[in-house]
Amino acid sequence: MSTGIARARLGEERKQWRKDHPHGFWARPGKNEDGTLDLMNWSCGIPGKAGTMWENAVYKLVMIFPEDYPSKPPKCKFTPPLFHPNVYPSGTVCLSILNEEEAWKPAITIKQILLGIQDLLDDPNPESPAQSEAYLLFRKDRPQYEKRVRLQAQQNMS
Amino acid sequence: MPPAGDELEYFEDGEDLNFDGVLAEKHRKKLYQVDYTVQSAKHLMGSQDKEVGQVAVILGMPKEHAATLLRHYRWNKEKLIERYMDNPDSVLRIAGVVTEHVRRIIPAREISSPEHPFSCDICCDDDEDSETVAVSCNHRFCRTCYEHYLRQKIKEEGESRKIECPQDGCKIVVDEKTVEQVVDKNTHLRYRELLNRTYVDDNDHLRWCPAPNCEFAVECHIPSTSLTTIVPTVECECGHQFCFGCGLPDHQPAICPLVKKWQKKCEDDSETANWISAHTKECPKCHSTIEKNGGCNHMTCRKCKYEFCWVCMGPWSEHGTSWYNCNRYDEKSSHEARDSQTQSRASLERYLHYYNRFANHQQSAKLDQDLYRKTEKKMEEMQQTSDLSWIEVQFLKKAVDTLTQCRMTLKWTYAFAFYLSRTNETVIFEVCDVTDNQKDLEMATEYLSELLEKPLEREKIAELRQNVLDKTVYVKQRREILLEDTAKGLLENRWSFFVDLK
Repeated sequence: MSTGIARARLGEERKQWRKDHPHGFWARPGKNEDGTLDLMNWSCGIPGKAGTMWENAVYKLVMIFPEDYPSKPPKCKFTPPLFHPNVYPSGTVCLSILNEEEAWKPAITIKQILLGIQDLLDDPNPESPAQSEAYLLFRKDRPQYEKRVRLQAQQNMS
Repeated sequence: MPPAGDELEYFEDGEDLNFDGVLAEKHRKKLYQVDYTVQSAKHLMGSQDKEVGQVAVILGMPKEHAATLLRHYRWNKEKLIERYMDNPDSVLRIAGVVTEHVRRIIPAREISSPEHPFSCDICCDDDEDSETVAVSCNHRFCRTCYEHYLRQKIKEEGESRKIECPQDGCKIVVDEKTVEQVVDKNTHLRYRELLNRTYVDDNDHLRWCPAPNCEFAVECHIPSTSLTTIVPTVECECGHQFCFGCGLPDHQPAICPLVKKWQKKCEDDSETANWISAHTKECPKCHSTIEKNGGCNHMTCRKCKYEFCWVCMGPWSEHGTSWYNCNRYDEKSSHEARDSQTQSRASLERYLHYYNRFANHQQSAKLDQDLYRKTEKKMEEMQQTSDLSWIEVQFLKKAVDTLTQCRMTLKWTYAFAFYLSRTNETVIFEVCDVTDNQKDLEMATEYLSELLEKPLEREKIAELRQNVLDKTVYVKQRREILLEDTAKGLLENRWSFFVDLK
């Protein structure tokens, strides 16, 4: 993984994504000022799973790739920040596969990351809280938590 | 006259002489000593190889897999073998081992076909001239990416014993042989170093020498459960003496749990206790600690409202009008008040007694470093002004070494004695034993210290040399006697301490 493979890999990721991607998701590289593709910054949409309180909505997220990707994982950030126990107030997602010292592996694809985050939506990890508001409601007042999640889904209706 | 050592050996050779009394005793290991070996990095590699080799034979698998298993079980061979015999599949799974044989390095060309060209999932390169790497799970990536991944784990994250396959979710551990074949020499060296480190860290019978820049480890088979009866002092190849049980510098004769308690106590208490002792008195009635910060001798305790005299500690009611000048110091009621105060302060004073002596030896040992430098100068001087040779002036250096060692021992006798309980009568007798030995050693040590500090007088060099030699031997003996006696007491459970050693 010599320097410069980040762009080659991201080019390939884009090709694969266009060939085939899970239903309801979207992911595309940003644009530089001169109109060329900015492969290091992607904007994505993650649909809530059907049958959960997150359904019928798409949550917007940006992926910021470091120069030493795929040695290091991309940073994934919900814009605007999401009400969810494992999302920091800044919107950054706290997930083991996005941490190089935990489960990040260079072979993990963008598709796998997005599917991983979709799973996390309805299945939060109480072991690593990232924001107090959603975490406390999730632990202590489940009806209120669900109400907030449904409200958020309405605001992000697809 | 032949040196004493020759005599000993002569007798030892003739074992059938049946001299198992006094002479045999001299050569026997002392009670306060433990068996240990010092291991270099090379040694450590050797011992790992040996253990891996044994397990590989027993379990019938390649060495690199046996190594991964052993590392997972923290080198507990018995446990690994037992579990493996019980349920090999589960052991392999949790340790991340697949024993199936796989060709680690294959050129991309060999596994590519026109319909399915090989393409690396990390860099997405499909160059047919590249090489590919996979471990037993057969998740194959190009060699460049594999190497980069391993280098990142080893050099940046300091990982060694459990580097997983780069595939998402794959828990298979990249074995030592693969790492060796894939990474560059420099990275592999670092990898070995990290493995050695975890080998020592994971192994209960090994400990790194804590001296700065020292790369030796010590192997000692004293179980941690014995630390209440023995102080396993070991000496590294580099000369550093430390306790195998806790890694602190040698603290004989005090056992590890006492050392830990003592250090904590000193950190928390000594300064405060000193201040309290120097600046305050206690209310004779409720024993509140009072600092007098001005005013006359007529004290009224804030807490219990008791009125007393600061000078004689007696009740104020008996003082009449002599407010500023107490003349009742020797009256009976004043005596009694002071006695009860003394008693309640005794435990504080007792602690300070031991602490101050402990701290004093610690300080002296620090100053002995200066003495070391001075002594070196003295040794040069001696060689120039007398007809003594280099080897003949070494006695001074030896004496300073012995002195420092004795101070260390003395220092810890105070912590040891502080915790001795003195409730029953037999113990009181024993306590005297310790303090007698302690006193003897202390006196001898101070005498030697004085000798070494003396300026050199040209005419008296021969006399000084004899004197220092004699004293060095003597304090050494006193130290051995003290350590032998305390160690024996510990083994026999003769000492009882007023603190819980758990």
